[in-house]
Amino acid sequence: MKFLQNKDFAAVSILTLIFFVVFTKEAYAYLDPGTGSYILQLLVAGALGGLFAIKTFWRQLVSFLTNLFSKKKRVRIRKKKNGQK
Amino acid sequence: MVRNKLSASFRDPSGFLFSIDGALYRQINKKYQEDYDLFLKSGLYEKLVSDGLLIRHEEVDLKYAQTQEAYKIIRPEKIPFISYPYEWCFSQLKNAALTTLKIQRIALEHGMSLKDASAFNIQFVQGKPILIDTLSFAKFDERPWVAYRQFCQHFLAPLSLMSYVDISFNKLLQLYIDGVPLDLASRLLPIRTRFKPPLLMHIHLHAASQKRYADKGLKKEITRKFSMRSFLGLVGSLDGAIKNLKWQPKGTEWADYYAGNLNYLPASLRHKANLVDEFLEILKPKNVWDLGANTGFFSRIASDKGIKTISFDIDPAAVEINYKTTVERKERNLLPLLIDLTNPSPAIGWENKERNSFLNRGPTDTALALALVHHLAISNNLPLAELAEFFSHICNHLIIEFVPKEDSQVQRLLSSREDIFASYTKENFEKEFKNFFTVKKASEIKNSKRVLYLMVNKRRL
Repeated sequence: MKFLQNKDFAAVSILTLIFFVVFTKEAYAYLDPGTGSYILQLLVAGALGGLFAIKTFWRQLVSFLTNLFSKKKRVRIRKKKNGQK
Repeated sequence: MVRNKLSASFRDPSGFLFSIDGALYRQINKKYQEDYDLFLKSGLYEKLVSDGLLIRHEEVDLKYAQTQEAYKIIRPEKIPFISYPYEWCFSQLKNAALTTLKIQRIALEHGMSLKDASAFNIQFVQGKPILIDTLSFAKFDERPWVAYRQFCQHFLAPLSLMSYVDISFNKLLQLYIDGVPLDLASRLLPIRTRFKPPLLMHIHLHAASQKRYADKGLKKEITRKFSMRSFLGLVGSLDGAIKNLKWQPKGTEWADYYAGNLNYLPASLRHKANLVDEFLEILKPKNVWDLGANTGFFSRIASDKGIKTISFDIDPAAVEINYKTTVERKERNLLPLLIDLTNPSPAIGWENKERNSFLNRGPTDTALALALVHHLAISNNLPLAELAEFFSHICNHLIIEFVPKEDSQVQRLLSSREDIFASYTKENFEKEFKNFFTVKKASEIKNSKRVLYLMVNKRRL
């Protein structure tokens, strides 16, 4: 159920964003530009959070792989050294 | 005892700045007690100060309290010179933006968040941008970033305009003291910026959202939370947007001035540099303003001696090159700034007191005015008497170069106009300046007809 709510929210967000792009009406922006800034953040919160999660995952994956390879390399070097001894 | 509440700091109910006998203090109000305690206890203050991102302060006795609401009184370290975003070049504003985001990331790690993201809260101290408003932090409350709009208006909008439209758009920050309105930025930016996801979101959609909800307000309280992950995503997205904005100075008026100039054969340049060095050794000034500094060649003669020096120039490209050099050389004593001497920064804001004028931020101990006078006198029709008086208002000592009419640079300025400057002579120059200054030294620069003077202001500022 919660999942559904989130999905609904995402759909509404995207529709609202499209609405912004297509229909921009004359402004009262100087009355209160704060509300719009607040709501926009809530609308894109999911996307931003998702993007952040993907980035974090990607970074972890890259550092895991680099660690793995450099560890193999280190082991190989150590083996070589030991062999020399 | 002279007590003054500083006019730039009345907006924040958390506290305010005041001065006693010239020393700067900040009162922290009881209203801010909880956040201030968390700020110290969480280790955020220590972390930011040790990373050189926040101004250091010490707590002083409560007897300095200005009102009943005082919780603590602190004395922040003094900043040698306050500069404003409309006096910064592209990379200075960009680095100030990235510093703000870096601070925000660290704050989030400590369970706090910036409640202001004003470009005016950043100052360049010892070559680096640092935050000077200690009261900018509030406990993270799982809501959207309250300073998001301010960040976009103070940093992202002007930087995008400077990058995509014209470099002179940093001057919009002088017209709009709380940053460039996003609907204005959205209209001025080219269509292709709508296809850049971060600019589409943070400027174009942001402006549209502001318009849409301007007259509505929040009808009922929104309970939906803004998670830490979303917050970090927002900061990351802004960080990416700022990092992607670029500006390369090219085809500028002055940037390659020294390269192909006949009057500046290396020998004369070297001789002039030696004279400047010699005069500075005589004066041993506390600080130097180099007016018309170009990319800072002569400023560095002062700053490399450990003298606090500011390079002022009218050309955004020269200031950009100068700033990038300070970053490369990790210079701590040189601050390049953008100033048009014929129309310097005015006092602006509430009661014209929030931001100081250029002249009010002086005087300086020693001013350098090298190859400058002919531009002011001939390109800008300023009489020598006016120039002499101007310099007498800004400095106690003056190292100034007179460039005579025979000089090819002056001939170039005169080539497209009638010579109405009969009084532009060395004799007149000396006569007018002697009304305000005592000439201590005058040396001809080798291989040229130019003269370099060392003068002392008759009245001490």
